[in-house]
Amino acid sequence: MTAQPHILVIDDEPQILRALRTILMARQFRVSTAATGSEGLTLAAAGQPDLIILDLSLPDMDGIEVCRQLRAWTQTPVIVLSVRDSEHDKVAALDHGADDYLTKPFGIDELMARVRVALRHAAQTQTKQKAVITSGPLEIDLVAFTVKRSGEEVKLTATEFKLLAYLAANAGRVLTHRSILTNVWDPADADHVEYLRVFIRQLRKKLEDDPEEPRYILSEPGIGYRFIADD
Amino acid sequence: MQKVWSFLRNERRILPAVLSVLSTVVVTALLVPLRGDFELAILVLVYMLPVGLSSALWGFVPGIAAALASFLLLNFFFIPPYGTFMVHKFQHLLVLIGFLALGTIISQLVGRMKDGLAQARARENETKRLYELNLDLSGLQNERDILNSLARHVVETFRADRAEVLLENNPVPALISWPAGPGSGTPPTAVASLQGSQRLLGEIRLWRTRRSLNPAEERLLLAFAGQGALMQERTRLTAEANRARVLEESDQMKGALLSSVSHELRTPLATIKASVTSLRDDSFDWEAEARADLLAVIEEETDNLNQLVGNLLNMSRIEAGALKLECEWNDISELVAAALRRARAASPAHRFEVGIPDDLPLVFVDDALMEQVFNNLFSNSIKYSPPGSAIRVWARQEDAGTLLVQVINQGPAVTEENLERIFEKFRRVTAADRITGTGLGLSICKGIVEAHKGRIWAENLPEGFAIQFTLPLQAGRKPASASEP
Repeated sequence: MTAQPHILVIDDEPQILRALRTILMARQFRVSTAATGSEGLTLAAAGQPDLIILDLSLPDMDGIEVCRQLRAWTQTPVIVLSVRDSEHDKVAALDHGADDYLTKPFGIDELMARVRVALRHAAQTQTKQKAVITSGPLEIDLVAFTVKRSGEEVKLTATEFKLLAYLAANAGRVLTHRSILTNVWDPADADHVEYLRVFIRQLRKKLEDDPEEPRYILSEPGIGYRFIADD
Repeated sequence: MQKVWSFLRNERRILPAVLSVLSTVVVTALLVPLRGDFELAILVLVYMLPVGLSSALWGFVPGIAAALASFLLLNFFFIPPYGTFMVHKFQHLLVLIGFLALGTIISQLVGRMKDGLAQARARENETKRLYELNLDLSGLQNERDILNSLARHVVETFRADRAEVLLENNPVPALISWPAGPGSGTPPTAVASLQGSQRLLGEIRLWRTRRSLNPAEERLLLAFAGQGALMQERTRLTAEANRARVLEESDQMKGALLSSVSHELRTPLATIKASVTSLRDDSFDWEAEARADLLAVIEEETDNLNQLVGNLLNMSRIEAGALKLECEWNDISELVAAALRRARAASPAHRFEVGIPDDLPLVFVDDALMEQVFNNLFSNSIKYSPPGSAIRVWARQEDAGTLLVQVINQGPAVTEENLERIFEKFRRVTAADRITGTGLGLSICKGIVEAHKGRIWAENLPEGFAIQFTLPLQAGRKPASASEP
């Protein structure tokens, strides 16, 4: 990378801004901050940040709207921050182009993990998608359409593979039910969460050591799924 | 002729008088051929018959009419000279006058008795109708039901075509009609106002095409209106009393909440403050281990505070009836897994065992709220059961329409009388002095499970203390079967 990544934080709470600025700068990021949605949009256009951290409750405009306006012209990864009990807003933001979310209060290790995944994903879409994704004993070859577990091939149906491939290609990022259903099935099936439940159950049975306590395909209740890959 | 007949039919007062006069004519017709065979005294006695009968059947006025008619007919046909109203003999005059006087007295006596009886019957009928109305209304709590019943009783009692009850409610007036449907638009036959103790509540309107109300009916309608107003006020007062009670309860709840929350909020804040100020103290050199310990305490207490705020928020939503379910088809084992991840992180010292068959049907629930149920149950289990012990989660299909979930821990048994009370707000029965908590967790679980039409209860089982709950498997509703696209 040419320089340290530039992160724009949009949040109306001065204490959060202060803390995030200090923490992120200590980790060698360049940081700029905005207290309102419109200021954030201006700074995003002027400063060309590598990543945006966006609080969903802003004084001047809806965070989801900020998300939508950003996506009109840039693919810069966006991580949204929200409070608990507003799953609906999170899902809406994710469906409007946000890359990931964090629930306040969050630990900095969680934030840094999300930031790493988002930056890596952005870099990958610019170059080329990795062909083989590994997670523990799992080896998913997106080109050869094969899955190996501890070196042994696992037989998957076409849909199971398509689902796994979509999750793995977005490893580390949360994917909403709607986005999975739209991409793996069909936009017309976007509300049929029951399809997803059944296939996730089948995948876990074939891939996880203990399907009741999955380690690779994690559920985010009310939001969607997240595939955990090796770094 | 027909006109006359219909006039007579409609005018109830005239018909009996005409009939009674007719009866005297009939008697005359029967007696005229026998004229001369009988003495005048016997004829007079026979004429007493229609007079007495008319009085007895139809009352005073027809009786008098019969007496007068008899007087004239007797004079005309039976007192010489026949065919005139002249009387030659003094004794005949005495007989006639005596007859008229006697006839009048009889009709008056019998008629008065008869009228008295009719009035008594009418009163009895009024009382009965009022009683029936009262009985019907007193069983009703709902304003609309009362208005409906009132309108129905008015129609039945007065044989009206239609009745409306208007209530000048705040903010929208209520209008109930019986039979339901729009009226004819003609002005009502009678109107009675519903007078409350403090203000006019509304009115009863009655339509009857046949004839207007007589004074007795008007009186009865007023009594109906009075009864209706009374009942209406009663329901209002009851509703107000209920509201006042709810307010009082919510006041008490707020009081309990404040005392509980201020304590529960301050305890973690005190720990955090103490730890942070110690760490910032330059005059003291912390060993790495102690430092890590203090930081861990700060993190744990922050999580506790966060959980507390979340619980309070959920509780207030449940209390306000504002819990919005966003249900989707869910795999119960996924929800357990998500909550389990959290629980394991919170207490590595406990063993968690999961027993959920992998062919369990999907359930139609709000996943975020159901995860909250498992979070609360696990966090309770961690709090109350000794470290190293097992916390078990089971789920199985109880019958075609019910899923049963059990969370069992090795915490102390709860006494029988407290098994239900642990689901009350702020109720803490086990080791409340040693273990911190608001007593909200289980009542939130109850609120969420019941919002899903499930049932939750606690039980002391041989294998440990169990919280169990059921979820309906959406009888008649099935997830679309997943297809390979």
